[in-house]
This record gives sequence, structure tokens and C-alpha cells, in this order.
Amino acid sequence: MNKFAYSAFIAFLASIGTLVSVHALSSDDETDGASETRDITLDELAEHASAESCWKAIHGGVYDITDYVPDHPTEEEVILEWCGRESSEAWDNKSPGRPHSPGAERQLENYRIGRLVDDQGEPLSGDVEETSADAERQDARPAASVSPAEDQRLHQAMLGQPMDGHYRGVFTDRGEIQVNITFDLRDGHLTDVNFRHLAYRGVDYLTLEEGDDLYPVMVQHRRITEWLEGEPLTAIFALYEPARVVDEVDGFSGATLRGAKVISAMRDGLNRGVYSWP
Amino acid sequence: MALRLYRGDLLLIVALLVPLVVAAPRLGWPPGEAAALLGWVGRVSGIVGLAMLLVTAALSIRLPGFDRWFGGLDRLWQLHRLLGFSAFILIMLHVLALGLARVPAGLDVAVLTLFPPPSQLALWSGWLAWLAMVIFLAPTFQFFGRLDYQRWKGLHMLSAAALLLALGHALPLAGETWPWWLLGALGAGAMVWRKLLSPSLARHPYRVECVAPLARGVVEIALRPEARGLGYRPGQFVYLTPLDESLTAGRGEEHPYTIASAPHDPLLRVGIKDLGDASHALQTVSVGSRVMLEGPYGDFFAAHHPDRDALWLGGGIGITPFVSAARGMADLDEGRGVQLFYLANGPDRAYYLDELTRCAGENECFTVTAHFYRELGPLTESFLRHHCPDYADREIYLCGPPGMIGHLRDLLDAQGVPAARIHCEVFDFL
Repeated sequence: MNKFAYSAFIAFLASIGTLVSVHALSSDDETDGASETRDITLDELAEHASAESCWKAIHGGVYDITDYVPDHPTEEEVILEWCGRESSEAWDNKSPGRPHSPGAERQLENYRIGRLVDDQGEPLSGDVEETSADAERQDARPAASVSPAEDQRLHQAMLGQPMDGHYRGVFTDRGEIQVNITFDLRDGHLTDVNFRHLAYRGVDYLTLEEGDDLYPVMVQHRRITEWLEGEPLTAIFALYEPARVVDEVDGFSGATLRGAKVISAMRDGLNRGVYSWP
Repeated sequence: MALRLYRGDLLLIVALLVPLVVAAPRLGWPPGEAAALLGWVGRVSGIVGLAMLLVTAALSIRLPGFDRWFGGLDRLWQLHRLLGFSAFILIMLHVLALGLARVPAGLDVAVLTLFPPPSQLALWSGWLAWLAMVIFLAPTFQFFGRLDYQRWKGLHMLSAAALLLALGHALPLAGETWPWWLLGALGAGAMVWRKLLSPSLARHPYRVECVAPLARGVVEIALRPEARGLGYRPGQFVYLTPLDESLTAGRGEEHPYTIASAPHDPLLRVGIKDLGDASHALQTVSVGSRVMLEGPYGDFFAAHHPDRDALWLGGGIGITPFVSAARGMADLDEGRGVQLFYLANGPDRAYYLDELTRCAGENECFTVTAHFYRELGPLTESFLRHHCPDYADREIYLCGPPGMIGHLRDLLDAQGVPAARIHCEVFDFL
């Protein structure tokens, strides 16, 4: 019995230790991937200006895309033209005025080998020329100080004029469906807003009962749907700041469902189009 | 431990199952999906583990007479140990299973489940309870070798903290709390009785009347009760706490000693062999000094088939329960035959043998056979058969040092004597 108790104790420590250290190591990996950078100067960058070795500096990062060149959708000359150079301009203007997609951005990160620095070793962002343009854009946007939750022009621009009908949409993240919502549009106003599914980190919120730790979070979401009832569609953007809508948001830190997820699920529904006609 | 079920065992099983049965509607049947199944195992092991922890605490009560519901105090201690051990294992399984059950939701979720923010007091209370268990169980299960008995005893008091912390973990999280209040009250009540109340309420004052040397390192101490004496039966033992100020060791410490006197004797006698610091010091305890006795405990000569003849095998200081029974035999007028084998190293170590032989002379049902190791080596089957041809059909009682018990059990087992017919006083429990 003594030996067994000791073995079980050690096995327990080992298992917990493994769980914790695997967790610590895997989260380190993620940050390492992003933060591990080698300093690369413009001179070094310029040495890799051919199809044999093609490095590009984009917004301060340096990427070795040699292996990707053959896979790029456009003709090779277009992409090879920028090898060994600061290429943010080309990246931001895939077609004039349109940058590459977020998907392409993620793909690009796989090829990151370092960051661009000047001769003194100070990082170069590659956005130098753009600062003035940025500033102009800032000036040209008087509503810049308006919260996205309030900006009516933004709302109209983002939503267009969806048809009346019955909609269903989902928000998925971390491999699970977190929000599945259904709603009707009548004359551009929301009715019958209901969650078909609400979950986070494996907890099914719709099955929670009063007294459960996370029950208040579920109640907050119910209040969201109640609040949306009868509102114009653009009201969903108020959920970017859920404190405008319900009290005591974030009742349980570490397991909140955010208003942004509800917005996302509803917009997913709008993108899918009318699910059924009223 | 014999597999026989005592009525106390049924009580234990009920107490252990109550929380599980109460939680059963909430738990449901084990689900098929792996993560859900792990979660289910985690919850069930937590419930059963905590129930075992609380029942283990309740079993520490050591109430005279109560131990006989469990087949004697030594068996009760074995149950206590077994349940405490199981609780420890199950509680670790509980933690691990609940943590692993959340792995599909992400490693960070699993780690957060086990190590939540400090504001989750109930969960951290559980961790502290486990830590307290590790500290007081490590010497119990000898993780790092054996600890001095008194220090072990002091450390074992941490079990009270473990019990309270475990309740602090379970009460806020449990669906139904009344089983935990009930078992918690039983466990805490047992500890309060044992450590706070029993030293003043359950101990009986005696005076040392005389100290008679029986052999080198063995004395018989006769004790006269200051008030009403303890009622006891042969084969029972008491916890003895000497208060003699001149003692070199063990003053105020309690240790168990078997009663050697007959129940009708106005004096209570204990045979004490020099086996450790406390029993060494008792060899020279002052006549007239005070000792406190708590008991009696044990159920060595419980009425297993009183119609069947008995075979007693005693050795060393393990002869004392048989001495008590032999001395009391004259009054009992027992019909059944009793044969005692006294296993000693040699005639000089066969203390009590003269008196036992005298008893045998006065009672025709009782015979005594001495067996000297130095002359004959270990007891053999042929010696046994020669002196007691029907030994295999008798109710057999063994008491003595572990080596002797092991040898005799092997010998009897080889002759096909059923284990249920062999009764044994274990002499190295606490």
C-alpha cells in the first residue's frame, strides 16, 4: 500500500506537471514565432534579389518568399521585381489602393525570417512615406472620434440594405461554434432575436441553471436579445460596447462572451442571405 | 484482513454511498464520449474520495465498544488506513480527470480549470486540502522513510485542516450539500472527541500497585482503580498513559497494552515488554504513581463458534491475552477444550509459564504445551499434530511477533485450515 500510494502520488505530480508544462511550452511557441526576430539591414536584404533567393521587407518584417514565388497567382516578374527591396508599397497595393487579404497576411507570416533595421540596428517600419498619407486620412475622417458603436454612417456602409426575412448565422472560434443566432428583419428592424446555441470553452450556456457560476453571463446574453428586439438593424453595432446595453458585463473574467461575437454571428447571417421568407 | 463483514462495515458502506446516491440524478450514467466520461469519472471520484476522507476521520473516534462493531480496534485501524489511502488516490484521480476532461477545449482551458484565478477560493481550498493530505500522509505511507511515532502523530493532526479545507472545497461546489454537512460533522466530531474531549472524559485514573519482573526486560504492572475500574473481557487491551514524573520517556504519552488479568481481578494487570522508549521506561515505573487508562478495546476472543474447541498459539509478550483468558477460565466453567502452545525461545523467556501450567492443573479442559525455539527450532506441523491431533478442526487464536504469526499462518494454510477459523491479534499496529 505504501509503494502504491507513493507511485500514485508521483504519477499525479508527473501528470499535472506534464499538463502545465505542455501548456506553458505551447503558448511559448506561439509568442516565440512572432517575437523571434533576426535583425536584417537593407544591405543584407539587397543581396537576396533573385528568384534563387528572394527576400522582401514588408512593414518592418523581412520575409524569405523564395519557396512561395512559383505559387504566387500573378506572373513571376511581378513578384520578382520587388525581391531584395522594401516592398510594403507593393503589398498594400495588390490592385491600386487595395492591400493583400488578411489570409495572405497570415500566409506571409509563415515566411518571416527577421526584421528590417537600419545601420544602427534601429528597426525600420517601412511605413515612412505613408505617415503623411495616414495623417491626411485621419484629417479627412471627422468621425474618427465617434465610437464604432455609434457611427451611423459606418453602420449603413457595412450593412447595406438587407432584405426582410428570417436569418440564421453563426460565430465559430477555437474550433467550436460559440454563437448561433436567429432573427427576423421587418422593415429593417429586428424581431424574434434568439440564440440557437451559445457556448464557450466547452460550456453550453443555454443549459446552465440558476446558481451555476457562468449563469450570469448567459443572462447578459439574454438581455442582449431582449434589447435588440424592435431596434433597427444598425443597433447591433452598439454591442461593440456591451456596457451600453447590459449591466455587469464580464461577470466572470476568463469566460466572457463578447458582444462582438453576437455582431459577428448576426452579420454572418446577413451574409448568408435570407434563410427563409416570412 | 479477513473478508468477513461486520455490522460496522455495512454502516460504512451506507455512509460512503449516501453522497453518491444523492448526487446520482445529477451525474447520470457514464457517458460514452471520452471527454464527458473523464468529467464524469472526475466528479464521481471526487464525491467518493471526499466521502472516504470524512468517513476515515469519523473512524478515528476510538470509542470503547464501538471498535467491536468492526471486529476490534486493530481491524478498525486497518479500515481507517485503507479508506484514507483510497481517499488520497481518488482525490488525485478527481483532479486529473477533471483537468484532462477539458483538454479538448484547449490546453489553456484545462490548466485554467485546475489552476483558476485566485478568486476561485473553493478550488484553491481543494488544492490546500490535498497539500495538507500529502504532508500528513507522506510519513504515514512512508514516502521518505519512517518517522518517529510522536512526530508522526503530531503531523497527523493536519488531517483536521485537510478535512475543513476539503469541506471548504466541496460545500460551495456541490449540488446537494446536506450529505457533506452530515459526514463532515461526523468526521469533525470524531476528531474533537478524540483529541479534545476524550483525554479528560474517557480516561480512568489508576495507581501502580506493584511492578513484578517476569524476565529480563518484561514486567507485569498491577494497577488499582482510583474509582470504579474498567469492565473488560479477556483478550482486550487498553491505552495506558503514565503520569509518573520520574519516567525517563513516554510520560503523558498513550500506548496500547494487552490486559493480562482476569476480568474478576480487582487489580488490572498488564504485561509490558521493553520494546521501545516508552515501554522501556515503564519497566521502572514508580509504585504509587498514577496512570490513566482508556479502553477497553479489541475483540480477540469474540464469540466465533464457542462450541468448538480452541487452539491458542502465543509467543513473546503476545502470551498476555491468553494469560488473561486462562486466569479467568476458573470462573467461566467453560465446556470447550482449550490447548495453548507457548512458543518461547527457551525456559528463561517463558514468563507466565508456571502460572499457566498451574491453571491447566486446576482445569481439565485446559492444557499447556511449551515449545522452545532454541531446542526445537520453528514450530513444526508434526509437533503440533503430536500434541494436538485435532488442531485443524479447532478455532485457532494467534498472538505474537509478526515473524511468528507469518510462520504459523503459512503452516496452517499449508494444512488447509480455512482463514476464517484463524483469529489473530496484530501486535505492531499503533
